[in-house]
Amino acid sequence: MYLTGRFAPPALLLTTALALSACGTAAESDTKSTKPVSGGILRYAVNTEPSNLDPHASPSDITAVFTRPVLDSLVSLDPKGGVHPWLATSWEVSPDGKSYTFALRKDVTFSDGTPFDAEAVKANLDHVVDPKTKSELAAGLITPYKGTEVVDPHTVRITLSRPHSPLLSALSTPYLGIQSPATLKLGADALARKVVGSGPFVIDAFTPRQGITYHRNPKYAWPPQGAAHAGPAYLEKLEFKVLREDSVRVGALTSGQVDAIGSVPPVNVSQVKADSRLWLETRQAPGGNYNYYPNTQKGVFSDVRVRQAFRASIDFKTIIGKLYFGVFQPAASPIAPSTFGYDPGTEQLGGYDPQAASKLLDEAGWTTRDAQGYRTKDGRRLTVRWMFVKMIAREQRAVLSEQVQAEARKAGIDVQFLDVTPSNYAPIALRGDYDLSDYSWQRVDADALRDLFASSNIPNDQGGSGANASRYSNKDVDAWLDQTLDTTDPAKRVELYGKVQRKVVEDAAVFPVYTFNYVLGGAKKVHGITWEAQAYPSFYDAWVSAP
Amino acid sequence: MTKAAPRARRTRRRLRAVLVRLATSLLVIWGAATVSFAALQLTPGSVADALVGTSIVSPQVKAQIIADYGLDRPVLTQYLSYLGMVVRGDLGHSYQLNESVGTAIWAQLGASLQLTAAGMGLALVLATVLALLTAKRSRWIRGVSSGAELVGTSVPIFWVGILLLTVFSFQLGWFPAAGGDGLGGLILPAISMALPVTALLAQVMREGLERALDEPFVLTARARGMSDAAVRLRHALRHALLPVITLAGWLFGLLLGAMVVIEQVFSRQGLGTLMLGAVTGKDLPVVMGVVLLTASVYVVINTLLDLLYLVIDPRLREAT
Repeated sequence: MYLTGRFAPPALLLTTALALSACGTAAESDTKSTKPVSGGILRYAVNTEPSNLDPHASPSDITAVFTRPVLDSLVSLDPKGGVHPWLATSWEVSPDGKSYTFALRKDVTFSDGTPFDAEAVKANLDHVVDPKTKSELAAGLITPYKGTEVVDPHTVRITLSRPHSPLLSALSTPYLGIQSPATLKLGADALARKVVGSGPFVIDAFTPRQGITYHRNPKYAWPPQGAAHAGPAYLEKLEFKVLREDSVRVGALTSGQVDAIGSVPPVNVSQVKADSRLWLETRQAPGGNYNYYPNTQKGVFSDVRVRQAFRASIDFKTIIGKLYFGVFQPAASPIAPSTFGYDPGTEQLGGYDPQAASKLLDEAGWTTRDAQGYRTKDGRRLTVRWMFVKMIAREQRAVLSEQVQAEARKAGIDVQFLDVTPSNYAPIALRGDYDLSDYSWQRVDADALRDLFASSNIPNDQGGSGANASRYSNKDVDAWLDQTLDTTDPAKRVELYGKVQRKVVEDAAVFPVYTFNYVLGGAKKVHGITWEAQAYPSFYDAWVSAP
Repeated sequence: MTKAAPRARRTRRRLRAVLVRLATSLLVIWGAATVSFAALQLTPGSVADALVGTSIVSPQVKAQIIADYGLDRPVLTQYLSYLGMVVRGDLGHSYQLNESVGTAIWAQLGASLQLTAAGMGLALVLATVLALLTAKRSRWIRGVSSGAELVGTSVPIFWVGILLLTVFSFQLGWFPAAGGDGLGGLILPAISMALPVTALLAQVMREGLERALDEPFVLTARARGMSDAAVRLRHALRHALLPVITLAGWLFGLLLGAMVVIEQVFSRQGLGTLMLGAVTGKDLPVVMGVVLLTASVYVVINTLLDLLYLVIDPRLREAT
């Protein structure tokens, strides 16, 4: 540990020297804005906040955004699914796929002075799976985790109960980010307010309902491979402000009170684009799109023809285009095109075709109509009961659902909304007492498909992701998904994921709706905000030029 | 002896009044706590389900949540053990926030008090000025004023807040859009809060003033050569204040609702958002904590107001 302390200053000097030489050799024509400037503060406004900062416990996206500046991961992931060294310099997978051995960097210290070593990795992973952590996401990313073995101070071996090829991409996410083992011991209450890692920034204070402030970690010298620079972050200070109201967030940006904002509302996108002082950037979120999931097990949607008819009777392309001004794209597959393993073949399947829908419903026996014009069969109306949680619906999904209801009505389908709140969602999901449900399932890779369609993930009280609200159970799909876990060969995985996507779309086990995009708006003086593989903004390379 | 007896009797009577007041106050607080406990139990869904929301967690995690908060105990046991804790001065630990309820409330209390005090103070001053200036004036002045009051009570606070921000923060840059510290961050939220309250109070006050100005004693005062301003300030205002005091206690509840909206629009800390999140998440200890706090404040305020009646209206002093 003494060594790492000594190592840091020369590394710092080296990067400063590099930066200086870069300045020296820059071409005359280079404007001031192309050379990163060190120092300054960046104020970034977000639309929500974590109720718990510990990413090992909390499942929310915003927890990942808040902790990424502080937490490094063992490996990093590029958008094409390539895995790169970060805190681990190299790794080896055993032939049976059940153990992963990582060689760790030796020059890393946490910002509280604790050295980073094999024990720290073990402490982190053990903390994630500890039931006391009450992990709502992270533990689910590494379900076959058996244990971690400290081989030597800088070598660590993770053993699994079965092969699990998504392990590396899971390790790249902030949810499995490496925290200082000293702070892990402080308990859940302390972690919920302050997280300490080895990242380029250090948390100053997290004030609920206001935001979070960070300062630069001056010793930082271990960015992930692929970062635009080495050494400490350019920004001296970083501040996230919580501005829940869309119009307030946009107003704060246009009036220069913040330097950049996340979640630019679709309706304001053209306004920000048109503003000469601002820029706008979007990034597609990988993983499960925002989709509708019909209950294939019981009720009206247990008939595949009715599912196909429902999907064909709704003009998702037009509705999505009008509602989101082209900022979110209509989806064809259950996963986003930006996901490694996306199958473009799905774009040819399951489009809008009201005539085909009508034919399918006739074939399925829903031939008669009642006084209100809804289709009936044996005197029963074709009713779809939707477990829509209005209370937490984001991105105008409630408006969308009403437009879908209106379109379905034209086809003679009666869509009714069940009275569901977050408090009674789980019991209804477990009972399967619904015909339709809806959610997005953003994940770093196509393993999202396994959460969404493996029969073991049908909501049940024994375990699993519970994300298979379609209650879809298909032996072929289960087998393909299992095979994706066994192979680390990217080509093989792409093929398998492609098969799964085509099958579930053909079976109408999912009605793809839209692909979510993170929309970032910023002032022209802000440069170098990059995107994580999971489309979260990253501020390590960011800098602010003089106004 | 004949003199001492009535005094002793009076003291005893006062003591009894104080004790009765104290007992009813405790009863009110206990009642509020019990009703909200029952309400939270009666709303659909279990606490353990609410805590994980729409994510389906592993059986181990669910078992841990249930064990951590003792949710498997019978409701009556939970209720009694909660009351026991409160009596010992412990408000418990939040299910959601990873901190004790005391800490959570304490962290939000300052911001809420500031906002309430500023909003209420502003509203009282504005309403008084407005009422004094417009009572018994020509038709069009009263018309304009009551029209404005009608608008004030009917526009949503949310909209007012956004409008104020757009003009004074985004356009003119006079105030920050967020950041509740300091006076600069308090002004726009306080105005948004004061607006509907001002409108309401001004209506009530003007009516009171106008009634008072019709009284014979006003004529007497004027006959003595008192100026109009002095008549209004020294004689009529006192009478107009009584219904305002009555209203003020009730307004306190209204403000709590307004707080939720204002905290949201102005990105402020405060009890409103704390309470909202706790109710939707079935965070029982936090809900109960805020209820206990507001019930106590309510009791204190009403007691103070009752005392204030005596200060304002000498006729009431005779009765006690």
